[in-house]
Amino acid sequence: MKLIKKRDLTKKESASVLNGVLGSAVDRRTFLQRASLGLGGTAVAAALPTTMIRRAEATTAQASGGNAEVRRSVCTHCSVGCGVTAEIENGVWTGQEPDFDSPFNMGGHCAKGASVREHGHGERRLKYPMKLTGGKWTRVSWDQAIEEIGDKVLDIRQRSGPDSVYWLGSAKFSNEQAYLFRKFAGLWGTNNVDHQARICHSTTVAGVANTWGYGAMTNSYNDMHNSKAMFFIGSNAAEAHPVAMQHVLRGKENGAKMIVVDPRFTRTAAHADQFLRIRPGTDVPLIWGMLWHIFENGWEDKEYIRQRVFGMDQVRAEVAKWTPDVVENVSGVPADQVKLAAQTMAENRPGTIVWCMGGTQHTIGNNNTRAYCALQLALGNVGVEGGGANIFRGHDNVQGATDLGVLVDTLPGYYGLAEGSWKHWAKVWNVDWDWLVARFDTGYVDTKADVESGQAPVPFNNPMNATGIPVSRWVDGVLEDSRLIDQRDQLKAMFFWGHAPNSQTRGHDMKKALETLELVVVVDPYPTHTAVLPDRQEGMYLLPASTQFETYGSVTASNRSLQWRDKVIDPMFESLPDHVIMYKMARKLGFAEELTKNIKVDKDEPLVEDILREINRGMWTIGYTGQSPERLKLQMANKHTFNPTTLLAEGGPCDGEYYGLPWPCWGTPEFKHPGTPVLYDTSKTVAEGGLNFRARFGVEYNGTNLLAEDSYSKGAEIKDGYPEFTADMLKQLGWWDDLTDAEKQAAEGKNWKTDLSGGIQRVAINHGCAPFGNAKARCVVWTFPDPVPVHREPLYTSRRDLVAKYPTYADVKSHMRLPTRYESIQAKDYSKDYPLIHTSGRLVEYEGGGEESRSNRWLAELQQNMFAEIHPADANDVGVRDGQWIWLEGAEGSRIKIKAMVTRRVARGVVFTPFHFGGWFEGKDLYDKYPEGAAPYVRGEAANTAFTYGYDSVTQMQETKASLCKITAA
Amino acid sequence: MITGTNKVFRSLAFAIALGVLGFGTSGCMDVTMHEPGVYMGATDPLLEKQADPEHIKALQERFVKSQSDR
Amino acid sequence: MARMKFLCDAERCIECNGCVTACKNEHEVPWGVNRRRVVTLDDGVPGEKSISVACMHCTDAPCAAVCPVDCFYTTDDGIVLHDKDLCIGCGYCFYACPFGAPQFPQKEAFGVRGKMDKCTFCAGGPKDDNSAAERELYGRNRIAEGKLPICAEMCSTKALLAGDGDMVADIYRERITKRGGRPETWGWDTAYKSDV
Repeated sequence: MKLIKKRDLTKKESASVLNGVLGSAVDRRTFLQRASLGLGGTAVAAALPTTMIRRAEATTAQASGGNAEVRRSVCTHCSVGCGVTAEIENGVWTGQEPDFDSPFNMGGHCAKGASVREHGHGERRLKYPMKLTGGKWTRVSWDQAIEEIGDKVLDIRQRSGPDSVYWLGSAKFSNEQAYLFRKFAGLWGTNNVDHQARICHSTTVAGVANTWGYGAMTNSYNDMHNSKAMFFIGSNAAEAHPVAMQHVLRGKENGAKMIVVDPRFTRTAAHADQFLRIRPGTDVPLIWGMLWHIFENGWEDKEYIRQRVFGMDQVRAEVAKWTPDVVENVSGVPADQVKLAAQTMAENRPGTIVWCMGGTQHTIGNNNTRAYCALQLALGNVGVEGGGANIFRGHDNVQGATDLGVLVDTLPGYYGLAEGSWKHWAKVWNVDWDWLVARFDTGYVDTKADVESGQAPVPFNNPMNATGIPVSRWVDGVLEDSRLIDQRDQLKAMFFWGHAPNSQTRGHDMKKALETLELVVVVDPYPTHTAVLPDRQEGMYLLPASTQFETYGSVTASNRSLQWRDKVIDPMFESLPDHVIMYKMARKLGFAEELTKNIKVDKDEPLVEDILREINRGMWTIGYTGQSPERLKLQMANKHTFNPTTLLAEGGPCDGEYYGLPWPCWGTPEFKHPGTPVLYDTSKTVAEGGLNFRARFGVEYNGTNLLAEDSYSKGAEIKDGYPEFTADMLKQLGWWDDLTDAEKQAAEGKNWKTDLSGGIQRVAINHGCAPFGNAKARCVVWTFPDPVPVHREPLYTSRRDLVAKYPTYADVKSHMRLPTRYESIQAKDYSKDYPLIHTSGRLVEYEGGGEESRSNRWLAELQQNMFAEIHPADANDVGVRDGQWIWLEGAEGSRIKIKAMVTRRVARGVVFTPFHFGGWFEGKDLYDKYPEGAAPYVRGEAANTAFTYGYDSVTQMQETKASLCKITAA
Repeated sequence: MITGTNKVFRSLAFAIALGVLGFGTSGCMDVTMHEPGVYMGATDPLLEKQADPEHIKALQERFVKSQSDR
Repeated sequence: MARMKFLCDAERCIECNGCVTACKNEHEVPWGVNRRRVVTLDDGVPGEKSISVACMHCTDAPCAAVCPVDCFYTTDDGIVLHDKDLCIGCGYCFYACPFGAPQFPQKEAFGVRGKMDKCTFCAGGPKDDNSAAERELYGRNRIAEGKLPICAEMCSTKALLAGDGDMVADIYRERITKRGGRPETWGWDTAYKSDV
């Protein structure tokens, strides 16, 4: 055996470094390690992007004792809002320290948060604007890309109208970018603008806002320290919101009972006192089953219901049908477990309910969310510390992007799409009303013959006032017969602006849609599944966007708190912050001036602070008006002064304020409202963050009073229910003269939502009243398909015996511009060929479509294969062993090739897949279709390829929690 | 369990082994023999720092800051 | 003199792997080498418990006892470290360690990370503190900077504690008292001698 001398090895190593660098895959770590040893440094440097060289230099600098500069940001993954402390040297992100000062995470991070520094190096990023020519990606300049895309889009507008261009935005935007994006779509002239909220919590927002006024998390993660009971349904916080578990487990240590309802024995369930294994899609039966015991035993809070709840009697009538045996039969949860859970919630108040996508992503998602609310209202748990509906949102800024209206059905601040709403914003934007109206497809009055009945559908005067096509259905917007779509033409161009398509269902249809579009534009830090899924030759662009670490601005956590992010590093490679790209695009499309009338622009970058100030001037509905950039920045510098349980600053420059000025933060910044930590909490004055339920649905319904009775927030001068405030109401109350002359001028003829001076809000609050009135929450939403939530079997159900009793809806001709099928799908029995229930969810290591996290080495190493959890009995039935390759085929025939994980985590008959994978399609790795060097480390089949048709009856949320599939060995 | 007898026997065996080794490797004069269990590596400058009461205090303060529930 | 210890509170550990990536990110630990990992017992069934495991910095460290070249040393506050220049990568410590802590880089036997790599309690190795050479071989030396191991400092739920054993025990005892139960933490008896 020949001994290798050390000297020889060094030479060999040196050569292998060069091979590695000059070959396609640059091994960064190898490089860094060698570079500091001075091996082949110059030759290596010449072949590398500048950021890497900077990093290597910075690493050496730090090692030799250089001083790192500290910059503060917020994690860009989930909605907990964990503070990130970054150490920067020579412009390179060299270190990450725990942010002990943040009251949200107190230094803690999950796998994703602890490795965000990796995003600041991102060798798998999309580096330059790219264009598909002859099936190959070629590098182009920004100017060329914007010119060509703009020309094409304007051409489509000419031929098919503005509604044929779809602006799909993102929960990864900062608040300022989200707002600018919605404004951008409005000025382009369409409501075809949406983002991830549609597919994660749209049924929550619709259901909850229609129950008590606002559709957001009522309390906070931190407030769970105060809970006596914690009821999780369809939420796996240990994987989806790991740092929230810090607060949950502290609550548990304080004595709270923890109940988890889920089809899977999740990692969250592993910490629970009680675990109820539910059949996917039977949330309403389970909740009504619990309420059955609560009503039966008189455990409901009768006085609370009398004062603050409308329609509980109708719930009671529906609940009476859900006797323990019926609940057990439908939900699969043993009767004694349901009773124990009900009793635990009744005996341990205040209790909180937590739900996530396990509850929302159903054809009856809006029923589920309203049923959860009804449970909490019956127990009197809403509007109290330790109680509430703690709806954990998904992405870091999905709450903000929802608030700022990146949605097909609303403008920023949930103003809706009615003419008054547009006029309000036109005034804030300072754009000419006639010009704005003309931007829309006003020439389009629907005269299309209905192909089935021969009659024209009801025309709408202006698409400006009509809900757009939701992201869950964009595929149908492309493929559906144009005569059946409620707009001039089909979708011809799609902008995937921070949004991966593997989060939407029906793989075959999606691929076809992506191949049918005239133009596909991806604006993202990564190429995403979009770049590789379609087989196209031309008509596709990839534009590199910066991450939030390469720009700055505000972000809203799930608990409605706003935090300010510093810029950590300069944009990497040729990437640009989203708001810069929006500005460039608007200039090409001819409305840059209108976009930035009140906003300073410096070298194509709209000033972020100015955008927030414009937001402050218009968002009266939900109180995004008090959070000026200055107030937010002051809080960021004094995070340590906030109490981690109450979120209240005790002393210091922010004394008396709540962390992040959780909305509603009423009035102008000068009014200095502290924010609202717990919604509808009558034990505090409104000026101190107290509230009551919102008067949103009128003052009476069918002769029954909807306003609160004998209940009002502390210190209110109106000691009963009252409607929302208007100028006239101030006059009737004799409070009009509390306004200054300037305020009077602005407030005349306006209400609390449209008075741009903030005077009406200020006066109402000074008299102890909530600007939005004081009403009851309602358990009956008379405008929804099911006014009282009822159970309906999923479209693809294996319980055929229940279909007759709990049928789905009739098919709908036009729901958000598209025909939507229900009973025509449920009519057919698929359960013989597809016997297993297919459900989906998250992994802690990845997030969303997963492209960013699968491109992070540290995370990729931890989950290297797409898999399905299968019960041992089901695996044995089809002859599949643990770790084996299998085909999972959805009930519509799309197949995915994945690995089997045989586990009792799932029940017999249920298959679980994580939804973060992409980059494969039906057994094929699409590695070769990525731009060179930009493929994520880990690729795999998208779970949603195999998911099927099915959409919520109110919001078009896709059904990805209860479908059918079959498994075969591959 | 190492008994007294065993220990003696082991020491003897060790001595014989040493002798054999010494004979077998005569000429390789740079071989270092040492007692097992004694650290043979380079000195870590951290050890000196650890004796500093200031340093100990800093770590304790850090612990309170980082790991207690605030 | 303090005695540095890790403790993972299994009642709080949620297997989020934050400690794992925090470690990798801090020390640039190569793919395939795990200074720390999370172990789950009874995965997916009631009773499931997770615990984060790394080198336990044993008082009477078996790795040091068996090392043929005696490259291990224990600092005054009980951190077990080793000299990678001396280490021959034989793997004998891997036999001896009850926790599987020693790691052996897969790519190259004489990789720049040395022959054997393990958790340093963020205390580097026998090189000048935070010198390029130390970072190269052992990663960052947080202890020298007056900081504690990054895995514990960044633990999402404060399940993983690291620091002066007495202070760790105080926090843990407080939690146990609050929970009204006795410690069920896996590894307690093995790593923590009763006289420590």
